[in-house]
Amino acid sequence: MRSGPWILLKLVVGVIYVFILGPILITAAVAFNESNRSYFPPRGFSLKWWGEAFAPQWVQPLMFSLELAALTAVVATAIGVPLAFAFQRYEFPGKTLVRTITLGPLILPTLVTGIALLQFLTVIGLGRWLGYWALLIGHVIICLPFSVRTIAISLQAMPGSVENAAAGLGAGPLAVLRYVTFPIIVPGIFAGMAFAFIHSFTDINMSLFIAKPGQRPVTVAIMSFLDFGFAPTLAALSILSLAIPLVLVALLGRFVGIGNFLYQEQGRG
Amino acid sequence: MADPALRLQALVKRFGAHAAVDGVDLAVALGEFVTLLGPSGCGKTTTLNLIAGFLAPDSGFIALNGRLVQDLPPFKRDLGMVFQDYALFPHMSVADNVAFGLKMRGVSREETATRVAEALSLVKLDGFDARRPNQLSGGQRQRVALARALVIRPAMLLLDEPLSNLDLKLREEMRGEISALQRRLGIATVFVTHDQDEALTMSDRIAVMSEGRIEQIGTPAEIYERPATRFVASFIGSINIVPAKVAEVPVNGFARLETPAGPAIAHVGSASSGRSVMLTIRPERLKLAEAGGAPAGAVAWSARVVRVVYTGARLEVQLRLADGSEAVAEATNDGRTSLGEGQGIVAWFRPEDAWIIAGA
Amino acid sequence: MIAAVQSRPIVPFLLVLLPAAFLLFFFVIPTAFLLSASFIESDGVIMTGVWTTQNYADLLSRPLYRQAILRTFLIGIAVGVIVIVLSYPLAYFLVRTTSPWRGFLIALSLSPLLASVIVRTYGWWVILNREGAVNTALLSIGIIDQPLTLLPSSMAITIGLSHALLPYGVLTIMASLNGLNPNIERAAMSLGAGRIRTFLTVTLPLTWPGIVGGFLLAFAIAISAYATPAILGGPGTQVMATLIRNFMVQALDWALGSAMGAILLVSSIALLLITSALGGRRVG
Repeated sequence: MRSGPWILLKLVVGVIYVFILGPILITAAVAFNESNRSYFPPRGFSLKWWGEAFAPQWVQPLMFSLELAALTAVVATAIGVPLAFAFQRYEFPGKTLVRTITLGPLILPTLVTGIALLQFLTVIGLGRWLGYWALLIGHVIICLPFSVRTIAISLQAMPGSVENAAAGLGAGPLAVLRYVTFPIIVPGIFAGMAFAFIHSFTDINMSLFIAKPGQRPVTVAIMSFLDFGFAPTLAALSILSLAIPLVLVALLGRFVGIGNFLYQEQGRG
Repeated sequence: MADPALRLQALVKRFGAHAAVDGVDLAVALGEFVTLLGPSGCGKTTTLNLIAGFLAPDSGFIALNGRLVQDLPPFKRDLGMVFQDYALFPHMSVADNVAFGLKMRGVSREETATRVAEALSLVKLDGFDARRPNQLSGGQRQRVALARALVIRPAMLLLDEPLSNLDLKLREEMRGEISALQRRLGIATVFVTHDQDEALTMSDRIAVMSEGRIEQIGTPAEIYERPATRFVASFIGSINIVPAKVAEVPVNGFARLETPAGPAIAHVGSASSGRSVMLTIRPERLKLAEAGGAPAGAVAWSARVVRVVYTGARLEVQLRLADGSEAVAEATNDGRTSLGEGQGIVAWFRPEDAWIIAGA
Repeated sequence: MIAAVQSRPIVPFLLVLLPAAFLLFFFVIPTAFLLSASFIESDGVIMTGVWTTQNYADLLSRPLYRQAILRTFLIGIAVGVIVIVLSYPLAYFLVRTTSPWRGFLIALSLSPLLASVIVRTYGWWVILNREGAVNTALLSIGIIDQPLTLLPSSMAITIGLSHALLPYGVLTIMASLNGLNPNIERAAMSLGAGRIRTFLTVTLPLTWPGIVGGFLLAFAIAISAYATPAILGGPGTQVMATLIRNFMVQALDWALGSAMGAILLVSSIALLLITSALGGRRVG
């Protein structure tokens, strides 16, 4: 049954996987160069660039990114849960508008949202917010769609009759929420939190405009260092910053099937 | 006289301009099994949701054991409900699912344990306590749902098409089991289904619904043999319907009719007056004979065999009557019947087997 | 519970009040402000309050800016096409394979989403620069004797973006292939169409909305991407995003910055409308 065309397809798919994974593997390999040039294949073998990546110059923005992403994920979830409930469970005037605005950052260029925030905060005299607070606000805006959608999906996936069944068995609205609704959507809440974290952690287009020296995520730090050329340190750093979301997804996989939620993930790069 | 377990009075529920339930009256006696039967969209599930309290009626009354409940939320109505998709809590074990209603009622730990064990044993699921719903088969989930609804000793049991997600064999098995359990516990039950076999075999009484109204309510035999309307007649089983005119004023409950297929005499049924009526006759009551072979007192029409369909135990004989209209007769497959297509024949029935309903 | 909905219409308003106020103040108003700022005369970052279309005229009259806009859209189209061409076979394989590794292969193909676009682009710089993998390989087998200048170039940007956006194409097309009733393909084959004929006459047309959706999604992200053009491009290959960065942060010409941002914003919204008009899957 699996005939000629299928074998050809397998070959093509193999080549595409090389295309997908090659550059990431090459980046990892480059970090082992002996000299400070990004040779591939690497010349010599050294771990010194990995050590270099742990210099304060890089640890500071890395920690800043972690803190920002964690806080963003918590705030986006705190705002996302009530929004998802409102969208999924209620009809109210203006629902379509609020929903469009909430999901808007997914569709509109993040870059434009970033410069709009930069311009607006400056003009209304809140320029001192640039850096930490502006980043938190901006990241919550662009990560909110991820938490809202993921939570909404888990609310939607829950058969409505389960809540009715609980009510029929004598559970009041709060008991239904506590014993039935909430436990069932917890994986969705965690997944939404993880997506918000990853999206914040990997963002560059928003942070580029509203960060400031000393208060900038690792992506912005790498970007501004690039003006001085590519060093294997950056390769090591890139791989380190890839490892963090990977670990997170592995943990997430223990809660829910990652595939289910990755399917829904359609953000921007 | 004791209050009925459930009384619905002039119940109305609208969705926008559409009345899903349009003035329903119903009383369910203590221990009685009543089925709401009808096609999808007839309002039967809406009625059930109104009884359970998941929907609020626009007008009308709902009384449980003589207490008006239409303004009570579902969690204060004390009803046991089994949902079409079972609605088991996916994050709880079988035992926790069954215990949920007791927990909500603040029943002690020991009593809960005893009653959960009793309920599980009632539905033959002893030893399944620790399983999760996704580790159960469809039939087992159904039993857990039943145990969960019964364990709270509800005032009555509501079943929303609980058998529709099971395969045929399991469905027939569960039919008998639910009936037996209901009879043993003597719990008043409202059962919603679109399956006429389920309705006929399980119910004490059936309420046939159409377009938000109850068309007829009665025992399975009354519904099948004495349909009140054309809808009820044709929704349950197959039936021959022949337009007719009343020729003489009815005497002793029987009317003399003129039909295109020939003169007839039939039970007055639900149409006691009016000239234009419908004569109905079930295929198994329409008999076949050689010319002149019909017994005395029977109504005999000449007919021609169009086709004989073999269905195993029975033969379904499709006929063409004198006026060219079609009719179906069902004959027992006794191995001695020889009917050829195109063969001339007499189709006959006893007047007491034919039933008149109001004309279209 | 429907009964609760009917009795308490106040609840949804309480739920959305704070989030909506937050989004209004920090997202809706700033975006609207940016659009209006693009029509206001400015001196550096100070707006003078005079309405004008001069900002747009400036952008469109300078060849450097005009070319950058054109280049951005051309790269966007090329990226969209490459993403579809590469992701369709991959998505088809992932949907139809019965391999026990299927779940892993899907996760693997989507894994680049976990990496920052910088990580994804860095590898291409390593491959394409003067001392990079391509030049090293070509020099060592003797095809060339001088390293090729593959960077900075529009081609490099296109390759880098196609790589970065491939997962979006895979997601969109997998979704539309998953929505396809496999019996429709079986029906075509039972009627005598071979595998390839079936694919061309049934599968491909039926997944057309997914193709359009995937193309527009990749296009929309590509035209607003900053990091990849900044790393793989140079002064001669400016795109709208890198120009916006220059206007806003280096030249401090916020009038031109907002006008360029507005063009990008309106293009994205236009794309979104086209997508839904074509009946493609909703982007996002």
